[in-house]
Amino acid sequence: MSLLIEHIKIHSPGGPLNNQTAIGIDQGLFVDPNRLQSPDRLDGKGQHLIPGLIDLRAHLREPGLEHKGTIGSETLAAVRGGITTVLAMPNTDPVIDSPAAVRLVLERAEKIGFCRVLPTAMLTLGGKGLQLSEMAALVDAGCVALAQGSRPFGSQKIEYHALKYAKSLGVTVILDPEAPDFAGGCAHAGYVGTGLGLPLNSPLSEVLGLGTDLELIEATGVRAHISRLTTATAVDRIREAKARGLPISCDVSLAHLLYTETALVNLDPVFHLERPLRTEADRKALINGLIDGTIDAIVTDHTPHESGAKLAPFPETETGMSIIEATLNLLLTLDQNDELPFDISLQAMTGNPAKLFQKPGFGQIAFGLSADCVLYDSTKPTHIDSSHWISAGHNSPIFGQELPGTITGVWVAGKQVQN
Amino acid sequence: MHGPAALQLTSEGRLKHLLTTEGLSKALITELLNTAESFLSSQGQPVKKAPLLRGKTVVNLFFENSTRTRTTFDIAAHRLSADVVTLDIRTSSASKGETLFDTLKNLEAMQADLFVVRHSAGGAPFFIANRVTPNIAVINAGDGTHAHPTQALLDLMTIRKHKGDPANLSVAIVGDVKHSRVARSLIHGLRGMKCPDIRAIGPGTLLPGDLDHLGVRAFHRIDHGLAGVDVIVLLRLQKERMTSALLPSEREFFNLYGMTEDRLKYSRPGAIVMHPGPINRGVEISNEVADGPQAVILDQVTNGIAVRMAVMAMTISTQQDLVS
Repeated sequence: MSLLIEHIKIHSPGGPLNNQTAIGIDQGLFVDPNRLQSPDRLDGKGQHLIPGLIDLRAHLREPGLEHKGTIGSETLAAVRGGITTVLAMPNTDPVIDSPAAVRLVLERAEKIGFCRVLPTAMLTLGGKGLQLSEMAALVDAGCVALAQGSRPFGSQKIEYHALKYAKSLGVTVILDPEAPDFAGGCAHAGYVGTGLGLPLNSPLSEVLGLGTDLELIEATGVRAHISRLTTATAVDRIREAKARGLPISCDVSLAHLLYTETALVNLDPVFHLERPLRTEADRKALINGLIDGTIDAIVTDHTPHESGAKLAPFPETETGMSIIEATLNLLLTLDQNDELPFDISLQAMTGNPAKLFQKPGFGQIAFGLSADCVLYDSTKPTHIDSSHWISAGHNSPIFGQELPGTITGVWVAGKQVQN
Repeated sequence: MHGPAALQLTSEGRLKHLLTTEGLSKALITELLNTAESFLSSQGQPVKKAPLLRGKTVVNLFFENSTRTRTTFDIAAHRLSADVVTLDIRTSSASKGETLFDTLKNLEAMQADLFVVRHSAGGAPFFIANRVTPNIAVINAGDGTHAHPTQALLDLMTIRKHKGDPANLSVAIVGDVKHSRVARSLIHGLRGMKCPDIRAIGPGTLLPGDLDHLGVRAFHRIDHGLAGVDVIVLLRLQKERMTSALLPSEREFFNLYGMTEDRLKYSRPGAIVMHPGPINRGVEISNEVADGPQAVILDQVTNGIAVRMAVMAMTISTQQDLVS
């Protein structure tokens, strides 16, 4: 069955159909509306149609952490946030370090998932940073990139070997820069964290870790994606490295675009993140990094938790926030606040990530590409209500807020998954 | 105001918990200190018995070990005629895997009126105050490197008694300010009392990087830092500062920052020397100064009982008024 969506405004910057007012969907692909024969019709009533968003970092919690979320609950939450493709992080329990585990994630996604799930797997066995995982077999099983899931390598030499081996297989690696000596702490080492007496994390932790990563990337030539920058200095280092021609890309999390260390003043454990919220100058530098192209992608770093995980004094709670379900609303918020133009954030969650992970079929609205798209009403705000929250993780900072935009339809491979 | 500073006050600005000295007004601190002084006899000792908390249950929740602070809270509660239960959590249910939240709910069900909390995590008393039923007062007896407000209040009481209104004084804090909840609370308390000149003296590894933001001037040289001050507050130096390579040795610390009679001469004549205890002789302070006329360290301990009586009486009275 084919579908004609008409009276819309296609928003796919740089794409051939930008600003068109109708699109056809047939056999799971975008097609020329004029070629459809007696399709179903959907009147878009002037709403916007954008490519489905791609999230390069989310925790879907399966296998083993189903009390925090399932591939079912979290992919539905993703779709409600306008996301049609998710890179699933490998730090599950057990971690994803075997072809069987990769296949399990793919099978679960096929069976109960609402959007595309691209599994990632551990660079090292058990994520322990000591012994290389069977990277070729993992890629064969369907994993799109290898990561360490923010766990440290046993040594710089082991990291070097992991990257060199990955390079010889042509695999992309995802790195979370952190110097082990400086790791830990739950608040940025600034006046807020100091005032609250929280264990502090220095920006040096990221900057020194990134220095090592960049040297090893340069030495091995591996294609690397640096995940979750938080500091202005790191943005500068990436900019310099890209200018030198290093094969790198990088991302920033939504939380670090939206919040700073001052979010901690009420000691709300929702703001206890694996990488701490830093200063306003850092936040501005991250936004500018997106605008000038230094930062390629925005990720949700969606991390759902059961309520008990956050029911303790701030430093003793688990890290991460549940945020995926409002992704599009939050991008529109940044645009509405004149902080980050929507064209740029959209590119950072569609075209750029699609390119980085060699998935040219997604991330754009163009004839012949997979029909992954989101229809939304930009004039109608969404009230974020915890009782309507689908994600199993209620560790979200936005309950009770009214955010711009309302999603009215999401299609994955031409199939409507949300209305 | 946010967080602990906001949560501890009622909408009328009365004290219902004591979580931090941050944001306490001069009027409120003065009221606390006056109340504390009213608990001292004419000989300057805390009164032996007052009936203010008769029929009330005070629970000491010590998640981190402490002898002095716990003892003075015990004495203070007894002198106010309260029933006192002391739970050493390290040896109780927490070590059997019960969460803080569940421990709390159980104690609440036992109808406690006041929790005295010491915890290694900054913000733990705030978490407890946020989660307990509204009519239980929470007093922070030290949380992580965050705050130790009763220590700060007894310091202010001692300063006021010996040197008068802090609004006319220069105060220097010497040593490991970075890891000290005592220093943080004293700084907030001094700012609340409108003290115009607060200084921190120590090597770069022991001073926090953002003292400006707290309204504190940093000094690395003790002769510069002590020049003309009225009050010198020494902090205890923990042994682990050496093993974590923040300091070479206790000897070097004493050579650079130890309080000796010679160094005392940089300060204003008659300056007082304070220390939250227990003191390390030959590390933070020389024997001569520790036993000399300018040290008021034992007076601090005495004032500690009176201050804790005042805080308990005041917070419970606020909670009672909230209920009725």
